[in-house]
Amino acid sequence: MHRRRAPRRPGPADDAARTGRTPRTRPRRHRHRPRPRPCPRPLIAVLALLPLLLATACAGGGAGTARAGEGRVRITFWSALRGSQQVVDAYNRSQRRVHVDFEQVPSGQQGGYAKLSNAARAGNAPDVATIEYPQVPGFAIDGVARDLTPLLGERLRARLLPQALALTTFEGRTFSVPLDVEPMVFLYRRDLFAAHHIAVPRTWAQFERAAREVRRAAPGSRIATFPTDGGHHLAGLAWQAGARWFDTAGGTWSVSMTDRPTRKVAAYWQRLIDRGLVFLNPVDTQAGSAQIGRGEVFGKLTAAWDAGGMMAAQPGQHGKWGVAPLPQWDPHRPRLGVMGGSTFAVTKDSAHPRAAMDFIEWQVSSPDSLRARLSSGVSSQYPAVTDLVPVARKAMDTRYFAGQDIYALFRREAGLISRRWTWGPRMTATLRTVQDGLARAGDGDGTVWTALREGERATMPDLEALGLDARRVVR
Amino acid sequence: MSTAPSPVPAGVGRGPDAAAGPAEQGARRSRARTRRSARRGAGAACAALMTPFFLLLVLVFLLPVGVAVWLSFFGDDQPELGFGPERTVFTGLRSYRAVLTDPTFLRGLGTTALYCLVHLPLMVVLSLALALLLDSGAARLRRTAQLALFLPHAVPGIIAAVIWLYLYTPGLSPVIGLLDSAGVRVDLLGVDTVLPSVVNIALWSNLGYNVVIFYAALQAVPREVTEAALVDGAGPVRTALLVKVPLVRGSAVMVVLFTLIWSLQLFTEPMLLSQASPVVGARWTPNMYIYDAAFTRNNYGLAAAASVVLLAVTVALSYAVGRWSTRGARPGGPGRTGEGGPR
Repeated sequence: MHRRRAPRRPGPADDAARTGRTPRTRPRRHRHRPRPRPCPRPLIAVLALLPLLLATACAGGGAGTARAGEGRVRITFWSALRGSQQVVDAYNRSQRRVHVDFEQVPSGQQGGYAKLSNAARAGNAPDVATIEYPQVPGFAIDGVARDLTPLLGERLRARLLPQALALTTFEGRTFSVPLDVEPMVFLYRRDLFAAHHIAVPRTWAQFERAAREVRRAAPGSRIATFPTDGGHHLAGLAWQAGARWFDTAGGTWSVSMTDRPTRKVAAYWQRLIDRGLVFLNPVDTQAGSAQIGRGEVFGKLTAAWDAGGMMAAQPGQHGKWGVAPLPQWDPHRPRLGVMGGSTFAVTKDSAHPRAAMDFIEWQVSSPDSLRARLSSGVSSQYPAVTDLVPVARKAMDTRYFAGQDIYALFRREAGLISRRWTWGPRMTATLRTVQDGLARAGDGDGTVWTALREGERATMPDLEALGLDARRVVR
Repeated sequence: MSTAPSPVPAGVGRGPDAAAGPAEQGARRSRARTRRSARRGAGAACAALMTPFFLLLVLVFLLPVGVAVWLSFFGDDQPELGFGPERTVFTGLRSYRAVLTDPTFLRGLGTTALYCLVHLPLMVVLSLALALLLDSGAARLRRTAQLALFLPHAVPGIIAAVIWLYLYTPGLSPVIGLLDSAGVRVDLLGVDTVLPSVVNIALWSNLGYNVVIFYAALQAVPREVTEAALVDGAGPVRTALLVKVPLVRGSAVMVVLFTLIWSLQLFTEPMLLSQASPVVGARWTPNMYIYDAAFTRNNYGLAAAASVVLLAVTVALSYAVGRWSTRGARPGGPGRTGEGGPR
């Protein structure tokens, strides 16, 4: 917007010409001119700038949060999660101490995180905010998320999956409470694998062989797509292989996005890409969805929540899908990465942190809360409070997966989540840079490896500019 | 930014009469006094009229630049891992070091440089050629043509980007659909084609504006000169290239300068295209980098440092264009004759 200001000044062309930006010609021209003449020019400038000024004046102001209480504590809650309104209504009905005002915000990448940051900067952040795992350290460092350690009771702590809680805990302090945590799985077309007599792969070596068989059996199809818009996807795969992109040992952020396990993963996928054994394109697009709809992909490397996503996106493929564990590098030492999941944080601005924490506890651990959430539509999220799994399992209509007990599988897989992983301080930006590199690789400019390297190189200046103790480690 | 109107020197003349005969001294003095008071009145009028300008210059240009420079030297720091309390500290050149070692910023500068290399010559040559055509009188319906050329400029950049995005998106675009049915497969948002696509949007939006500038300058070319060329036996093409073009050199410099500054601040179009094309990253141009630093990475110091770097590059390049344009121009030479209002 502001680039239009002066070059596009709507003055007569000759006036613009006379303004001639060259330092030499300007004074020379003025000498030849009667004195009062220069005045109109600033006037024109003033007139040209007026709308801009008005625009900035109008941009001010903002919504404040009301925390008036008529005996009942009012707290505000922002979330992009589906079903949040139902959860909040159920909570407000369930007790009389706290009233929650809910605001549906855009998802993080669509501006939800920027909204939260700006609100925190302005001092009017909601009491409770929804943050995905990768962004937790960033919001903790920025002082948006409050240290919840003193508020987090032992009972709730014990019910949460330890791997999930570890992702929101830094230096022994917990900054947010996990709602769900999503172990990676392999969704596959049961019918297609069976029709072509291809075994569902259990290891990555088998996956590569199966990929070859799929292409041989159906030349227009591939076993899966390597998503060029999947920074989280690549991170999850590296996580499984034992990578540690970020590490906080010794009070320093050690960054190593090109460590040995990551190199192994990058080389593996590059090989599959180069040999044309997988598609290479964005998946969170209409085209990506159409690829699945046409049955061109035999499977999808994704996470537990996406089983429900598939049910919603491809109702026509009812009964044709199955869920398998993600292939392993070493079946004797199975490990897993996470792709997705949300957490709830209490902000520094909250005037009622205890009430906020009570609401969060109810939200993540009450069966009523989960039932209210599921009432808004199909979801296959995996609750971070493990004893809620039976509730979710009961609500799930598994006919789409030919009656497979998918929650039993999720539960087994969740136990395999590796605890070596830590997210970094500027994960939105880091993953976005990796994705930019993957997108270029998808167009033949670069590789999986160069995308990771660029992501790492672009992350370092970010961390240094934050004043963090950060160094790049070669592992 | 650097494009705000420059302050105009008040240009108050030097004191009058060095020596005067004693007889006329009184009369002269009174005349001088009236002149001086008149001058004072003119000065006051000038000051009154110019105050708003300087006020705005300070408010919307100098102050923000000052704040940006100030911000760029500070950061909200926490020691070690960063989970402790924040404190604002002087960080010196740290943010500048971060910007200049960030491969994505440097890539953005490279993209912009490439964009300028493609866009600038195209813009100048095309708009000059069109203006010459309009001026030559060869074109019928001159007014209609002018209006048609200028109309896209009245379309806001964001709307223009939306229109073109529609035309670029496979599956939506009738153009791509037509080409597709003719067996021609084009990806206008690919890694190699997206830059020309952005250039195309910019050309479409701004060509008419620059044509008007050139056309106005061409109208100011004295008829005697073109008639003399005609008498000397020059055809219309020769007259255009050898007589008219050198005479509108000043306008060309201005068009180059405006287009350059506009290009360095490229933001709206690629920002919108980045929604549709994954090869346009979040930091595709320096301005997008600044936006990303401030609103995705929440680092105002970094964003400010990047802004100051961009400002420095803009000022340096504008200065270079200024130097380059005056180098060849002799005082009183053709560079100045071409300027002036339309008749």
